[in-house]
Amino acid sequence: MTVNYNEQLSALVDGELRGEQLEHVLDLLKTDVQAQQQLQRYQHTSDVLNGFTAKLHPTNLSARLALALEDEPSYAVRSESKAKVLPFPSQLWKQVSGLAIAASVGALAVVGVMSQPENQLVSAPVQTAAYEVVNDVHPQLASGNRWTVSEPEVEERLNTYLVDHNEYAGASGVFSYARVVSYDAGQ
Amino acid sequence: MQKARHIIFSLCLLIIPFSVHADENAMQLLQSMGTAAKNLNYDGVFAYQSGNKLQSIRIIHRADERDEIERVLSLNGAAREVIRTNDLVTCIYPEGKRIHVNRRPLGRGFPSDLLSRLSSATDYYKVTLGVESRVADRLAQELSITPIDNYRYGYRLWVDKASHLLLKSELLRDNKDVLETFAFSSVTINADITDEMLRPQITGHEMTWNRSDSQSPNQNTAIRGLSVWKLDWLPEGFVLVAQQSRLKANTGNAVEQRVYSDGLSSVSVFIEQIHAAHNHLKGGSNMGAINAFGTILHSHFVTVVGEVPAHTVEKIGHGIRHGNEGQQ
Repeated sequence: MTVNYNEQLSALVDGELRGEQLEHVLDLLKTDVQAQQQLQRYQHTSDVLNGFTAKLHPTNLSARLALALEDEPSYAVRSESKAKVLPFPSQLWKQVSGLAIAASVGALAVVGVMSQPENQLVSAPVQTAAYEVVNDVHPQLASGNRWTVSEPEVEERLNTYLVDHNEYAGASGVFSYARVVSYDAGQ
Repeated sequence: MQKARHIIFSLCLLIIPFSVHADENAMQLLQSMGTAAKNLNYDGVFAYQSGNKLQSIRIIHRADERDEIERVLSLNGAAREVIRTNDLVTCIYPEGKRIHVNRRPLGRGFPSDLLSRLSSATDYYKVTLGVESRVADRLAQELSITPIDNYRYGYRLWVDKASHLLLKSELLRDNKDVLETFAFSSVTINADITDEMLRPQITGHEMTWNRSDSQSPNQNTAIRGLSVWKLDWLPEGFVLVAQQSRLKANTGNAVEQRVYSDGLSSVSVFIEQIHAAHNHLKGGSNMGAINAFGTILHSHFVTVVGEVPAHTVEKIGHGIRHGNEGQQ
């Protein structure tokens, strides 16, 4: 099972899969025990974060899914209704659909830096530079995995700083680089 | 009356040592948590939730007598990875076809070395033990970390009872609003981690490689004495814990980073030379619980970044000044 499959399984939990992709993942889940286990882990993750663990009875989702699949005669016809075979509580679907992660192509362009001789470390007189200060905070983006700025150049610089700062993250040390790998490149 | 005083005094004797003992246990557990994260082998999937965003991430960590290696990869969206070895941080961004290799500034173990400074944090946080519960099918001990003021965030941590690995973390604003959650959904501790598991899935062909080197500790010491930038204000308990300077590969701009910490929370101050026309942040921005404040001073981009509230980075940012200010 590859990372691509992991991505598709995660998308399945998020309710993002349709058509051929959905059929492909359902086929995989019929036979692949590892995929079934992984699906359970993703489902559990979603449950934990949405606070459903206390409300729901323990559910072997992949086993229920496999049972449901056995009753399905054919998946040759593409249909939106296939998602209905998944025995998620309707409330859960409503919740996770709002948490879909954009699998987007974009620019998380973190620029590199190179070594610098010591004699250049002291701030030397700097040429007068033309520059522009931007105050482009987007209040509507005040939460999530993306800097609340619109200028790509500023965002790129902040991302560079984020990587460098993460080395010093305190209590969340184990998890701190999650912010870097989950940066929402889509907007 | 005298009898009542005796009773009260006796009760105090009973209560005070108990509460101190509880705090000591909490601090010991917190310190063990830092050690466990560095020394254990583990392979797990955790969720990261910030705002309305949810991400599944796999972490694989291996430590032995010689090396410490960690691979963190996104399981949703673009397959980004971060691989940390003893002294290098490699960030792979497949969507931008970029690989960023950065020498770790202090070249020591990870996760964060800050937890080794926890003893200095005790004056600024109340650390207490909570109840036991289950996280990722493991028995966990809850730790509550409450700051003394509103210049820093609080935490609720769930630490594995058996191994002391951090299993779940919530970052709290005003001790109630959860800004970020990290939570393992499954984890194998003392896992057998092969070299193959730590290898990136992307070969690096057709990728742009950027490499960096920070200065040596000796050089950093030299910088510390020479830096002309001053900070007028820091939250109580924050002290300088690291400093480095580099040149950006694409611009040649010199960037100085100073890290200030109270032993648990930290902020970085980045001071970057400007050589050409560029835009910069003026005011605040945030990414999840990370806040940034930017301004321009003496032809330098000055940016404060940290896991602290917005008003903290803003107040620090307003207090930064060039050493020559007031002499001109």
